[in-house]
Amino acid sequence: MIAFTDIVGMDLAKQALMLLAVDSELCGVVIPSAVGSGKSTLARAFADILPESTPFVELPLNVTEDRLIGGVDLEATLATGLRVVQHGVLSKAHGGVLYVDSLSLLDSSAVSHVMDAMSRGEVLVEREGLSEVHPAKFMLVGTYDPSDGEVRMGLLDRIGIIVPFTAQNDYRARKKIVKMVLGTRDAEDTRDELNMLAGFINAAKEQLPHVSITDEQIRALIQTAISLGVEGNRVDIFTVRAAIASAALAQRSDVDEEDMKQAIKLVLIPRATRMPEREAESNEAPPQEEMPPEEPEAEDEEAPSDTPDAEAEEEQKETPDMIEELMMEAIEMELPDNILNISLASKKKATTGSRGEALNNKRGRFVRSQPGEMRSGKVALIPTLISAAPWQETRRRDSKMAGRPKTALLITKDDVKIKRFRDKSGTLFIFMVDASGSMALNRMRQAKGAVASLLQSAYVHRDQVALISFRGKQAQVLLPPSQSVDRAKRELDVLPTGGGTPLASALYLGWETAKQARTKGITQVMFVLITDGRGNIGLQATFDPTAEKATKEELEKEVEALSLSIQADGVAAIVIDTQMNYLSRGEAPKLAQKLGGRYFYLPNAKAEQIVEAALSF
Amino acid sequence: MSSQAEVSTKRPIMTQTEPVAKKTAAKKAVAVKAKAVSEVKAVKPSAKKKSGQAFPFTAIVGQEEMKLSLILNIIDSRIGGVLVMGHRGTGKSTTVRALAEVLPFIERVAGDTYNRTVEQYLEGEEGKKGGKAIDPATLKVEQIPVPVVDLPLGATEDRVCGTIDIEQALTSGVKAFEPGLLAQANRGFLYIDEVNLLDDHLVDVLLDVAASGKNVVEREGISIRHPARFVLVGSGNPEEGELRPQLLDRFGLHARIITILDIEKRVAIVKLRREFDDDPDAFMRKFNREQQKLQKKIQTAKDLLSQVTMTDEVLTDIARLCMNLGIDGHRGELTITRTAHAHAAYKGETVVTMQHVKEIAGLCLRHRLRKDPLETLDAGEKIDRELAKILGEAEAV
Repeated sequence: MIAFTDIVGMDLAKQALMLLAVDSELCGVVIPSAVGSGKSTLARAFADILPESTPFVELPLNVTEDRLIGGVDLEATLATGLRVVQHGVLSKAHGGVLYVDSLSLLDSSAVSHVMDAMSRGEVLVEREGLSEVHPAKFMLVGTYDPSDGEVRMGLLDRIGIIVPFTAQNDYRARKKIVKMVLGTRDAEDTRDELNMLAGFINAAKEQLPHVSITDEQIRALIQTAISLGVEGNRVDIFTVRAAIASAALAQRSDVDEEDMKQAIKLVLIPRATRMPEREAESNEAPPQEEMPPEEPEAEDEEAPSDTPDAEAEEEQKETPDMIEELMMEAIEMELPDNILNISLASKKKATTGSRGEALNNKRGRFVRSQPGEMRSGKVALIPTLISAAPWQETRRRDSKMAGRPKTALLITKDDVKIKRFRDKSGTLFIFMVDASGSMALNRMRQAKGAVASLLQSAYVHRDQVALISFRGKQAQVLLPPSQSVDRAKRELDVLPTGGGTPLASALYLGWETAKQARTKGITQVMFVLITDGRGNIGLQATFDPTAEKATKEELEKEVEALSLSIQADGVAAIVIDTQMNYLSRGEAPKLAQKLGGRYFYLPNAKAEQIVEAALSF
Repeated sequence: MSSQAEVSTKRPIMTQTEPVAKKTAAKKAVAVKAKAVSEVKAVKPSAKKKSGQAFPFTAIVGQEEMKLSLILNIIDSRIGGVLVMGHRGTGKSTTVRALAEVLPFIERVAGDTYNRTVEQYLEGEEGKKGGKAIDPATLKVEQIPVPVVDLPLGATEDRVCGTIDIEQALTSGVKAFEPGLLAQANRGFLYIDEVNLLDDHLVDVLLDVAASGKNVVEREGISIRHPARFVLVGSGNPEEGELRPQLLDRFGLHARIITILDIEKRVAIVKLRREFDDDPDAFMRKFNREQQKLQKKIQTAKDLLSQVTMTDEVLTDIARLCMNLGIDGHRGELTITRTAHAHAAYKGETVVTMQHVKEIAGLCLRHRLRKDPLETLDAGEKIDRELAKILGEAEAV
């Protein structure tokens, strides 16, 4: 096992874990990182810098609901005649760390339970005749590879720190990592370093209650959250806590700029949904000055009465600049220019709730049992026994009275529990909407109407939808596979049009999305292409803006090759042609043919027909 | 494993409410039960208790829509509950969990697991097979705060509806019913966080019980039927999944909640939260007066409710509003009418005006508008527009 201090690189992740060690109310650290970066080694080494007896529980990805939450311990219950409870993984992590490797692959029902425990600080066990509350206040440490998909935003919202995702390319550091793995370090050095670090963190913990933060600083942090478009108010509390913990680590009693930068970097930037605009911000006078304080009672005691109003106002005016500087510096440090590249919130957001993956009796992963007919599925033996156990005494008596032969175990139909599996079922519909200049405005409206009807049906049929738009140089995923009709509709409503038609890029991106969905258990994928089929931007241009314009032949070849591969990959397709009749050169029907899909001419097609075609494949 | 395993114990069992199915078993039970109870006591005190303190309701900044809907549901429990949907991290569950502290008291038969009134108790117990007449004078009553029951996503059906008491069955072979969450929630609130992620079979149970106000459990000689009327409160983030339409329809009110963008409010939230985390007890004391004031205001409104009246003109306007909005059925009108009454009572007024209606119409109707995939107008805006039309007309006359 490699010690915390021996791990090279990943400085931000280390700082994040140290902040968490100082203030457990930060609730957790999520480390997105590519394969082989040593993220899970680091996460496991986190135990090194925590007090000795702190629980460190690893959550296996295939955990069942009863192992996660807790339930009846059958063996002990039968042996003692008293109900014996088996605590779940969540409550075993109480007071310590719950570690999840490949967090983005954790099943969505498990994610919901983790979220619930985090928001309560306890687990409610209301199962199999049990009604208990188990304390479950833990820090969640999660690592994952973003190429596996993203973590649900609801869960991220409950975790204080998200380490910005940066690819690690420093080969010298890697070499050092390798050396470390080979064990060239002196064990004694390691021990000394660890001890020092532990002392350091202990001192910071003691310092923590003595660190103060000014209202101005809180205001600046919140202003930053707003200008980065971070959703929710919970994150404010995390930001402030992170800044304070950072000051405590430096043994300071006041929060300074460095601390604020650290907080912005580790809490806010990874959740950014937009780049702050410099101009817009400095023009914006803080409107809240005129507003009466909302909470008079709370404010009265908090507000320093000796601050003259003029001074406060002056400070307020300075705020936007200060924030901007702070933020820019925080961004500039070691992160890429465009923070949206590292922001999780702006990428593929939450995948789905339980709707995308239906519970069923036949296949998927066993999550829970439920009363049911023996023939309707697989019998869950243990839950059936748990259910039968309490009746044995009375049944034996009844059976004896009825003169039936004695049997070891009396199980009746009512006891039978069948297994419920969770399977990501249903179809993923990937809508690819051509938003190029050639799509006349009214066509666009019609297309949106068709998509909206399909979305409604998709909900009824429990399918998932993804939305890709293509215009200009390349296609873009507007909505990753999701069950939210509302969001898809919202994205559609604001879809801008204009520019070239990067058809190949759209097909490519759709295919990628389909492949990723497969890894998550979605078996059926259907493309719904809404286009005139006249691609004029090649794949080359998508990746290299300076590339020469592709010829018509090249474009056609690209689309053809892609289409055939996609068809061979088993993806179904329908093409909805939006071309005006008199302009058509038959591109869209050709595309449909190459994809092996069905073709509709939008001006003639009714929304219902399209829906029917899409659902009946 | 054994170090983690722990012998659990139950709440003390109320003998008088316990429906024992078979007389033969019942006789024997008395003796064994005493033994079972003494064993239980020897082991450990009840594990079921709330750990930690809830953030006080009156210290919650903003989110007025949600707070108002919850309060109106306390004033009149027939409004039909509230669904709170909105952004992450905006205090949805904090607010609902804070509710318990400002709830008024209700009277129930002492120790009754179903929180029944004396009349309900008599009806339930005497109507039972082999039930004897009970002299109401022998029943003790007690005051309890309106119960708030949390239904976690991982709950199993038997715990929701109630099932046989396993311990009793194991130790003595007695088939005794152990009431579930639905029983505990009778005459109170049933709260489901992340309601949009609730498993379908639990949704079915809830729909069934919410419609009939009764929970029925039949199994091997146990046949239990008990009242289960509760105010359903659900919360969730719409991005995580949609709510089943039938369930959506069950909720009387639909409150929406978004990220607060006012910086001063957010600063206040952070500071209040920090203060609470530092010293919860001192914080609670600080808000004690506010809490009591609100509790009293709610109780006053509850008492006033029966005196609130509504003119036929207002009723006509409400009906017109629902008609113009194309709302199916009469649940819309009914909800608006009840909610407007409660709202007037909360404001200390005894006559419902269109102003009251205006303030709560969005809450009542937002989720009842027909879904039109091509509609781009927000439901709230649509309601406001129709309302303005009606109010304009009303003023002109």
